[in-house]
Amino acid sequence: MGYAILAVMAVGVVLMLTRVLPTAFALGLMAVVIALLAGATVLGDKNSVGTTVLQTGSTLLAATMIAVLLGSWLGTLMEDTGIASTLVRKIVEFGGERQVVVALGVYAVAVLCGSITGSAPAAMLAGVVGIPAMIAVGVRPVVAGGTVLMGIATGLPLDLIGWQFLSDAIKIPIDQVRSFQLTLFPIVLAGSLLYILVETRRRGARHAWAVRLDAKPASTRVRRGDAPWYALVSPAVPIVLALGFHVPIVPSLLAGVVYALLTTTRPGKLGERALRSLYRAFDVAAPPIVLFVAIGMLLSAVRLPGAVSALTPIVSALSPSGTVLFVLVFAALVPLCLYRGPFNVYGLGAGVAGVLVSGGVYPSTAVLGLMASYGQVLGVSDPTSTQTVWSAQYAGVRPEKVMASTLPYTWLIAIGGLVLTAALHLT
Amino acid sequence: MRTDEDLAVALLRATATHENRTEEQLRSWAATALAFGDELPLEDPDVRVVEEANGVARDVVTLAEYDARTHTVTVHTDSLALLADVAARKGWTDVTPDALRRAAVAHEVVHHRLHGGLARDLRHRLDHVVCRVGPLRVRGHVVGADEVVAHRYAHRASGLRRSPLHLSAALAELGG
Repeated sequence: MGYAILAVMAVGVVLMLTRVLPTAFALGLMAVVIALLAGATVLGDKNSVGTTVLQTGSTLLAATMIAVLLGSWLGTLMEDTGIASTLVRKIVEFGGERQVVVALGVYAVAVLCGSITGSAPAAMLAGVVGIPAMIAVGVRPVVAGGTVLMGIATGLPLDLIGWQFLSDAIKIPIDQVRSFQLTLFPIVLAGSLLYILVETRRRGARHAWAVRLDAKPASTRVRRGDAPWYALVSPAVPIVLALGFHVPIVPSLLAGVVYALLTTTRPGKLGERALRSLYRAFDVAAPPIVLFVAIGMLLSAVRLPGAVSALTPIVSALSPSGTVLFVLVFAALVPLCLYRGPFNVYGLGAGVAGVLVSGGVYPSTAVLGLMASYGQVLGVSDPTSTQTVWSAQYAGVRPEKVMASTLPYTWLIAIGGLVLTAALHLT
Repeated sequence: MRTDEDLAVALLRATATHENRTEEQLRSWAATALAFGDELPLEDPDVRVVEEANGVARDVVTLAEYDARTHTVTVHTDSLALLADVAARKGWTDVTPDALRRAAVAHEVVHHRLHGGLARDLRHRLDHVVCRVGPLRVRGHVVGADEVVAHRYAHRASGLRRSPLHLSAALAELGG
């Protein structure tokens, strides 16, 4: 039966890769089929498709979904109030014609954006002004797109939503997620800075006499006033509260929203702006929330007793034992998290993580390290990730070119994460 | 007919970071950058020039580009031919591919020269103060001003009757 479940997972990957089914629908379908193969009844109070997979599974990641919504709300406010564009504009004005300084400044803004919200909305916050500004001072388009993506990925270890997701998906306390992510952060920071410093110098500045035949990029940059200087720290509020004062995730994010509102909006307009931006945040948060509903179902399916007993012997036999083999094998498998592959933590990878934890193949902290390391690669280099597609296209290059430019660095970061995981949790 | 200053304002307006600048601010920077381009002494290009034919893409036409690492100007011959064709249809008979090539090389030479001291001079002339502490003033970078300087210099160096800013505007009309 275990092989039948693996075959279903393989079919699911093909369905996602070929885009026959959107990822969320493919994951939901897989969850139902895997549950039936694992011996679950269609209806019933315990271990059934109806109750365990669809009812309980759909809300398994509810805390993550609320965090996604609040992060999107803060992101929408940063866009509406001009906080993000003001940050980028100030950096470009101070950075001048020195392309490395401008790239590092936009990168820093992207780190902040990546720490409050993820995916394409974070890329847009930093990139709408940041990418053309970098290109205007001579940064190559592919490096401009890659720089924003590297920034967002550097923000991931500080992303409260990401902590909540990994905590829910791997069933591990948030304190342990936070502790690992903060240890991973310097590795990600070093790898990303290496990318910017090497790639901007290796490729050199490029200026062009070019004429756009479509005015779309300029028209997407909406004309807004500057946000006041004290509003510019809004994206740092949640992370400071969560890290410095151990405030839980939801109140930390809410405090960021309230601070952004109070520092940018006249009292008479507060209610209107808060409500309007919240409604817009629902649009932004809809795709990841749908994905998290489906991932919750898949996790519930692979945690069914029948699935655990069927998959554990196979996965145990296939999984490398020992620290060196763990690092070597999983480093070699890094490309499997690209193109919606089986190690994509925001797809089937979450199911794989569930199997590894439920079957006791590795300690849950090691699975956390594995998934966080792979998350760094797919967050930047996966040409099917929405943030990569948006950044590449906005910079005027193909997503595959951004993948080729960034993958050597993200692969290196992932290896660093795997070494860290092996050293901390497998010895 | 729009003047070079009008077109330079439009160029700056379309450049990232200038979305909420006032018309007066952009016009002042445009006029300063054009004057800076007028004052740059004409010099023979001291860069390597190569030709390629892959400048025309679906949504952008690249006439020339400068690689600061190799000090090389790449002139895109297909783009120059397209622009010459656009100009011919408007009856601008002096806009030949040869004249456009001179303009394109001169444009990129300005980017080659606009580093170090010259870039500082331009920043001082534009006088965009972003931070003031007592008598100290920090002048900020005005994105796109170097493009305006390069266009004006290219106009002078090429001897074209229509300026590169006008030619760029004519080319942009192809996109509707």
